[in-house]
Amino acid sequence: MIKVNNVSKNYGSFTALHSIDLEIGDGEFIAVLGPSGCGKTTLLKLLAGFMGPTEGTIAMDDTVLASTKRVLPPEKRNIGMVFQSFALWPHMTVAEHVKFPLSYHPNKIKEGKKELQERIDEVLKLVGLNALAERYPSELSGGQKQRVALARAIAPLPNLLLMDEPLSALDVELRMEMRKEIQKLHRETKASIVFVTHDQGEALAIADKIVVMNQGRIEQIAPPEVLYTRPETAFVATFVGKCNLVKGQWHNDQFVPAIDPKNVWPDLGVADSFKENGIYPVRPEQFQLMPAESDGLQGVVSFVQYQGHEIHYTVEVGEETWTIHESVFSSRFQTGNFVGISLKNAPVQEGSLISS
Amino acid sequence: MTAKQPMVEERKERDSSFSLFFQKKNLYKVIGLLAIFVFFLLPVMRLIWLSFVDDGSLTFQYYTEVLREPATWKTVQNTLLIVAGSTILALVLGVLFSWIVAYVQLSGKRAMQLFIFLPFIIPSYITTLAWTQFFSASGPVNAVLSWLPGSLEAPNLYSIGGIILLLGISHYPLVYLFTVNVFRKIPRELEEAAATSGLSKKRAFRKVVLPLALPGIASGGLIAFLSNLDNFGIPAFLGTPANIRVLSTYIYEQVVGFGPSAFSRAAVLSVILGIIALAGTILQWFLLRRSRVNETNRSDLTPRIYLSAGRQKLLEVSLWIFLLVTSLMPLITMGALSLISAYGVPFNLENLSLRNYEYVFLTDSKPLSALTNSLQLAFFTMLVCLVFGTAMAYLRFKYPDWSTKAAELFITIPFALPGTVFALCMIFMWLEPLPGWNPGIYGTVWILFIAYATRFLVLQVRGSYTAFLQIDPSMEEAARTSGAAGWAKWRRILLPLLFPGILSGALLVFLMALTELTVSSLLWSSGSETVGVVIFGYEQAGYSTYSTAFSTVLVLGILLGGGLFMLLGKLWDRKVLKNK
Repeated sequence: MIKVNNVSKNYGSFTALHSIDLEIGDGEFIAVLGPSGCGKTTLLKLLAGFMGPTEGTIAMDDTVLASTKRVLPPEKRNIGMVFQSFALWPHMTVAEHVKFPLSYHPNKIKEGKKELQERIDEVLKLVGLNALAERYPSELSGGQKQRVALARAIAPLPNLLLMDEPLSALDVELRMEMRKEIQKLHRETKASIVFVTHDQGEALAIADKIVVMNQGRIEQIAPPEVLYTRPETAFVATFVGKCNLVKGQWHNDQFVPAIDPKNVWPDLGVADSFKENGIYPVRPEQFQLMPAESDGLQGVVSFVQYQGHEIHYTVEVGEETWTIHESVFSSRFQTGNFVGISLKNAPVQEGSLISS
Repeated sequence: MTAKQPMVEERKERDSSFSLFFQKKNLYKVIGLLAIFVFFLLPVMRLIWLSFVDDGSLTFQYYTEVLREPATWKTVQNTLLIVAGSTILALVLGVLFSWIVAYVQLSGKRAMQLFIFLPFIIPSYITTLAWTQFFSASGPVNAVLSWLPGSLEAPNLYSIGGIILLLGISHYPLVYLFTVNVFRKIPRELEEAAATSGLSKKRAFRKVVLPLALPGIASGGLIAFLSNLDNFGIPAFLGTPANIRVLSTYIYEQVVGFGPSAFSRAAVLSVILGIIALAGTILQWFLLRRSRVNETNRSDLTPRIYLSAGRQKLLEVSLWIFLLVTSLMPLITMGALSLISAYGVPFNLENLSLRNYEYVFLTDSKPLSALTNSLQLAFFTMLVCLVFGTAMAYLRFKYPDWSTKAAELFITIPFALPGTVFALCMIFMWLEPLPGWNPGIYGTVWILFIAYATRFLVLQVRGSYTAFLQIDPSMEEAARTSGAAGWAKWRRILLPLLFPGILSGALLVFLMALTELTVSSLLWSSGSETVGVVIFGYEQAGYSTYSTAFSTVLVLGILLGGGLFMLLGKLWDRKVLKNK
């Protein structure tokens, strides 16, 4: 269990983190998601111990790792880390990379050479590199380098595994494959993982819980499905997936869009902060387009973009411009067509709502 | 009030322990900066101070005295003329070569670069010696000219023109070094955009490439200017016989001439030299004030200009002729002429002998002891610079705050100062480090050691700093998250990765210290002669054949060392870093 308690970090007059509170449970897989400069890397560096907080404390299982007074350096923390650039040492073989933390880490192998070699073999087998044990980094492909970086980080069985955008240096197909690989390692090592990324698809796909950060503050902490269907702030709604922020008025659980008061939309789980500001966040795929003569709000299609699996429409509705995604199997509209727009009701899996 | 009490106490407690840590850190910082101040900045301040002081009272007497003498103005005039001429020559050659190497399709560019740098690693006084042999009565230039019709004679190198030529040839590699990557980093799209906007190739060069390359050209020009101003060997070897003085040799003459006010007069001349150096730096700053440098561009190594096969051959041949004539031929001539029995006799089989070598290494005891001195000095200077310079570079890299920046600036001063001026600073500082206390550093080999270490430390700092910049910080972070700290981290991860960069810095320090002449010529004493001092001594006494023999051995040693270093670097890259 890791507790980040009221942590702030300043660089001179710039505040990178504003009073962050975060709890990471044992074995939990947490993705920290945010745009560049949001403070996610700073948070990771604080967790690793490369620097200390300006305010607040970080504790692991009731021992304080960092406070303003004292910072336990990374080499004394029970952690592993995977770097964005892999950070493989060019002068060491794959096996030596795995052996390195086994000789120096707080959890190092204290028994004999036999146990050490067994552990190296075991880790290499886990990441599927046993055939390449004597290779040097310059002789490996991108995906293989990534596996070495993972193997080195998990070898000493750290309590906490930190990953700094580990997939961003890989091409798209490899990235999909490595997502599964990381999920598998998470299942087998049972370590807590903090995975920093700016890719929302990655965060939604692999994490148990997502922490969305913006400008040094945490915007929302929630499981992926809750985060997507029940965003709590405008930033979360627009950063994680696309979102139309429709203006209007809330009357208890009923929403009346400002453009056309004849329509009334039901509350599908909109957060209070939106209700206070008179906004209904609607995902592009939550809208349904119909011929103009049907019910619903009236609009004009201004752009049509074919995407293969779906079609992206830009629709002018009164003063507002909405983005609407329709399946290629539904009826098509052209630029300049008048259309009617209504709201779909997407169910949320009960399980994920409870765990939030 | 009462509710807030515990919080206040808690805050206090934290503050005190925090400030204790802070104080300790600050204490080290203050000690370090103080040491740097004493070794690097104080000597310069004492020099300036001494130019204003006579018997403990402030005076402008030395200034009025020196400035009233026509000899001073003649010297300043010579200095300006020679420095301007040689800087222009170095700029033209350096920019031309860098532009051709960066943009034009040529084969054998790597080998060309090696030859461009040759005059750079051979000390300039040896180059001068080689050139005087090259142009001498029995040298190849005269042989070729006498074979041609008409009564042509080789130009006299012992003249202002000769000094300009040799300074220019010795320092154009510096301009090349500063500009070649600037040219490569100018995106070719900019030229293409100019072409699609209707500019001819020539106008595109003038309007687009040249303005963008100006920062590099100006920096190269400044370095060439400062090196020309600082150079002592070339004007001393070529100017002294012809009675041509420049400031660096004039200061030397003042100091070795002794006399009652020698040091004070030399201090005044040093201040004048310093003012000229400062003026050049300010000029460069004005040129660069408006330019914007785009550092993020990658250097583009593919050529942009393709010549027809015939023209390319022609260009290659003429470049090679220039490179061989300016860098290798004089050295070969020197080596050949060192083998003849007496100065001036024709070069043929009967006159060949090893007599000069026999004299230098067996009869005269000075050269061997000088070689031992220089090797020892160079080795210990390298060792001290290696440790302190790398530590300094690590601090500068890890904590880039005002204190490390200021420290780096101070460390640069002894290297940026003209050698004669710096040598004077060393004398004033270490003759009596504290007023009335002479620990006997001046007049022994120790002052040379202190002077070399302070003058060349910055080379190691820069070399190691570049090495640190080139390894990704995550390499070290990965070692730490794997549990390695302290010595284990350095031994297993950092040092193997840093080794080539640190070593090239150390080798440069070694080479500079081994062949140093300017500073040594003022600081040597009987028993602590260095290689440069002995060659200079032979030359002043007219024993050209001995100096060429000794220089030939040195050049062979330097080339051998350079070759070994390149080989070692390649091997390390392949065997340890596994680069393919």
